[in-house]
Amino acid sequence: MSGEVIRRARGAVAALVLAGLVVAPWVVDDYTTALLARTLALALVGVSVALLTGVAGLPTLGQTAPYAAGAYACAVVGSRISDVGVVQLVVAAGAGALLAALTVPLVVHARGVIVLMITLAIGELVVTVLGRWRSVTGGTDGLAGIPAVRPFWGLPALASDQARYLYALVVVATLIGVVLVLLRTRAGLVLRAGRDDETRLRASGHRVALHLSGAHIAAGAIAGAAGSLLVVAQQYISPADFGFDTSALLLLGVVIGGTASVGGALVGAALVIAVRDWLFGVLPGYAPLVLGALFVATVYLLPTGVTRARGRLRPPAAPAHQPTAAEQATVPELRR
Amino acid sequence: MIAVAAGPNRIDPYLIPALDGVAYGLLVFVAASGLVFCFGVANILNLAHGLLYAIGGYTAAAVLDGGWASLALALAVGVLAAAAAGALLAGLLTPVATGNHLSQALLTFGVALAGGSLLVAGFGPDDPQVRVPAALEGSVMVAGHRYAAYRLVFIVVAAVLAVALYLVVRRTRAGMLVRAAVDDPEMVACLGVSPARIRAGVLAAAGALAGAAGVLGAPIIGPGTDTADTVLLLSLVVVVLGGLGSMAGTLLAALAIGEIQTLGVALLPSAAPFLLFAAMAAVLAVRARGLAGRWRTT
Amino acid sequence: MPLTTPWRSRALTAALLATVLTTSTACGDDAPGTSAGGSIKIGLLASLSGTYQAVGTEIRDGFQLYLDTHDGKLGGRQVDLVVADEGNGAQTAVPAATKLLKQDRVSALTGIVGGGSVAGVTPVLNETKVPLVGSNGRPELKDVSRIWHTSYLSDEPGAAIAQHVRDNVKGSVYAIGPDYQGGWDELRGFTDAFDKIGGKLANPDGKTTFTPFPATTNFLPYFARIKASGAAAVYTFYAGSAAVDFVKQYAQSEIKDIPLYAAGFLTEGGVLNAQGEAARDIYSVLNYSPDLDNAENRAFVAAWKAKHDGSPTTYALASYDAAAVLDRAIGAAGSDPTPEAINTAIGQLGQIASPRGTWQFSTTTHSPVQKWYLRQVRQDGRALSNTVVGDLATVGR
Repeated sequence: MSGEVIRRARGAVAALVLAGLVVAPWVVDDYTTALLARTLALALVGVSVALLTGVAGLPTLGQTAPYAAGAYACAVVGSRISDVGVVQLVVAAGAGALLAALTVPLVVHARGVIVLMITLAIGELVVTVLGRWRSVTGGTDGLAGIPAVRPFWGLPALASDQARYLYALVVVATLIGVVLVLLRTRAGLVLRAGRDDETRLRASGHRVALHLSGAHIAAGAIAGAAGSLLVVAQQYISPADFGFDTSALLLLGVVIGGTASVGGALVGAALVIAVRDWLFGVLPGYAPLVLGALFVATVYLLPTGVTRARGRLRPPAAPAHQPTAAEQATVPELRR
Repeated sequence: MIAVAAGPNRIDPYLIPALDGVAYGLLVFVAASGLVFCFGVANILNLAHGLLYAIGGYTAAAVLDGGWASLALALAVGVLAAAAAGALLAGLLTPVATGNHLSQALLTFGVALAGGSLLVAGFGPDDPQVRVPAALEGSVMVAGHRYAAYRLVFIVVAAVLAVALYLVVRRTRAGMLVRAAVDDPEMVACLGVSPARIRAGVLAAAGALAGAAGVLGAPIIGPGTDTADTVLLLSLVVVVLGGLGSMAGTLLAALAIGEIQTLGVALLPSAAPFLLFAAMAAVLAVRARGLAGRWRTT
Repeated sequence: MPLTTPWRSRALTAALLATVLTTSTACGDDAPGTSAGGSIKIGLLASLSGTYQAVGTEIRDGFQLYLDTHDGKLGGRQVDLVVADEGNGAQTAVPAATKLLKQDRVSALTGIVGGGSVAGVTPVLNETKVPLVGSNGRPELKDVSRIWHTSYLSDEPGAAIAQHVRDNVKGSVYAIGPDYQGGWDELRGFTDAFDKIGGKLANPDGKTTFTPFPATTNFLPYFARIKASGAAAVYTFYAGSAAVDFVKQYAQSEIKDIPLYAAGFLTEGGVLNAQGEAARDIYSVLNYSPDLDNAENRAFVAAWKAKHDGSPTTYALASYDAAAVLDRAIGAAGSDPTPEAINTAIGQLGQIASPRGTWQFSTTTHSPVQKWYLRQVRQDGRALSNTVVGDLATVGR
């Protein structure tokens, strides 16, 4: 019975949140609208992190890499070729997917903390390249002067915070919808099954690596699309936007929101980023202290949530002490 | 014969970087060994490990006055303070399940953020001065090159520390428990040693090691606003590259990182910004692929 | 049932955080930058946490010192100073600046440590048409109509000292610096000017050596290459922790006897204390030194020392001057000092008397045309300090 209630309550909350987000720009001031637009872009990256971490079982610190690829591709296209949002979005998603495809061989065979470290390295390498490839990226000071985007041919350019925010909202809502639908297909189910018990899935003839590669590329495309939203929201990008602290905060936001739930990840990542940005404005000098304390407090506020997140990484029915394939996968070295 | 004749001149400029790679590698080893315990024994992903090093570093800066007695005092205070911080961290981690790396990351990252800003609030935003004993302040001649005396002595001290660590892990009861905990956590639990105590002990020991590294390494990787992040990142790389539960692997990984950061930079200066992470990603990916292959065959 | 609790507590946390956020935004009033009571809102953005906290604190204190010594008024109006934290760079600077400009509606913005942060804030400045009187980092900008800097352009220190190095060093000079925009500009300023007057670099390929930034903590491998190059002197630019590492390791290395010339930030402020004896005798070029002999500087240094330990830095000075610029511009902007009016007034200030000596804004770059000084780290009482040993060129364009 409770399951049904929860599902309905969840649906109602989601609808309420969405309605709130649509009317938000007419209720709050320009600053908050701008903050929300930027947060939406990062929350979308959070969704791609959750797809890999919670659904595919590949905890990642490297989604800033396709995010950056998408953002820079969009900025270059925006300043030199086309100011049409749809074009930029497609190019950005393509760039993100391409970068993710290139890094597939590094990632798909690893599990657990090893994935974290490989993806961390990929993220750092991409940031280094961005800082040094000055002719395209503008170097460490970033790319400014990117023209305002028009969503579609014939439409006016987005000139206000409200317009930029609504554009970001439409794109994010559409992409989340696509992700939710895809997760209900067979591919999504196989992905989750692989996360829970890889050996069994492999034994039943599924090609786990192929599914993981697909998920990795799809997550890259989403992060790339988010990159184009950042360009719209900020009209400026620099390597600092894609550094380690961004990827760490996103992963933590996703953990807070619940790694296996798209909505949770979206909310978690958005809250962490928004609170961070807001703290730097209102508590100058104390932002890291308060943010750190909030993280610690969150672990205590979510005691059961935390154990539940843990349960998600293993088959729920398995006895607590029986070592499972998933456990082996988390820390492979331990079993050698 | 030609190679030998050409040898000294060609090798000569790289002698000091190679030697310094050993010093740097050993520092990274001592700093990372605590994290290896955390991860390998207690199965805790401790992102506040760099903070423990920074506590040692700031202690060194505050206590050292250029005399030998102050060095001993700094070492004692730094080790105790960092060990206490480690134990405190274990207490904070009580409600978080063992092996739940993501929640541990959340909590310890929070502690690292908050603790780091408290340290800076206490000691000021400027990098503090570190005054080593006057006899170690200068430089000495090594094979015709000038090299920092402190670093030379540090190599010896860190090597002794590494051997001591090896002996403790191999020969003492605590060490046996530690190794047993890596091999079979349930068996250790059956012996009547509570997992909570092992966890507190391991984190305190990790703190002590990081604190010692922070004090002794303060003249090399000195205390400052970014110290904790630098040390955490290097330690994580060592832990993952070295594998767990093997002191030899950790030492090898740490020395490799030391040489990459010094000899590698001297040999390939244009590739310097990419060396560390490219090497790590390549090694990990190759190893993961090997591992995956092994699983498939079994 | 077991599923309900986590979801509920998760929702609770979310609601809690969301409430904090919404109450905060509700607090923000939409009052314009100036009010009837004759007060004016100024925004100060500086790194008050993170890597550049030392510089950010100096910038905040320099501005505050000017307010404290001028009854808290700029241009005759009571100042409502709104401070925000720039953090480590553009990723935190942009939202914080957006708050100052769109929620607090400040009439002018000042501070900003990083050049990248300035570049990131530019679109918001252009949108809100508020002037920035920056006091430190300055990126390359296409449009400076609303952007002013009381500091310097990054390539100016090197350009100012090149002739001195050329005249005093017999042999080639090795150029080395950090691998980011600030480092590229600082070193380019030196190498371009040095090349123009016939100087020769000792670097094997004739190009400056750049070290990964901020990742480099160990400079010994680079020192080995400098030794092998046979350089007669070294020119460099580092700041903060990297400056401490560079100088301390230099003094213990095999090239410790090679003269070291640097952009003044290498030994400026707190880093000099951390470097200690290792910094002795280093030559540097900067637009300021606390021992400059003029009335403005004596008053400035005395007021600073009354409130803080140690001497003021160029960072504090630039922020103090930013307040002075705003003071005169707001006063000249008339009865209704709108952001536009203040911006126009800044452009008409002319000569500005300052502790660093008199300077003025360049009409093309909107940064100072000012004199640069040669300084050397020498004993001053019990401590080491940067002592002016000569005047260098007046630079600005």
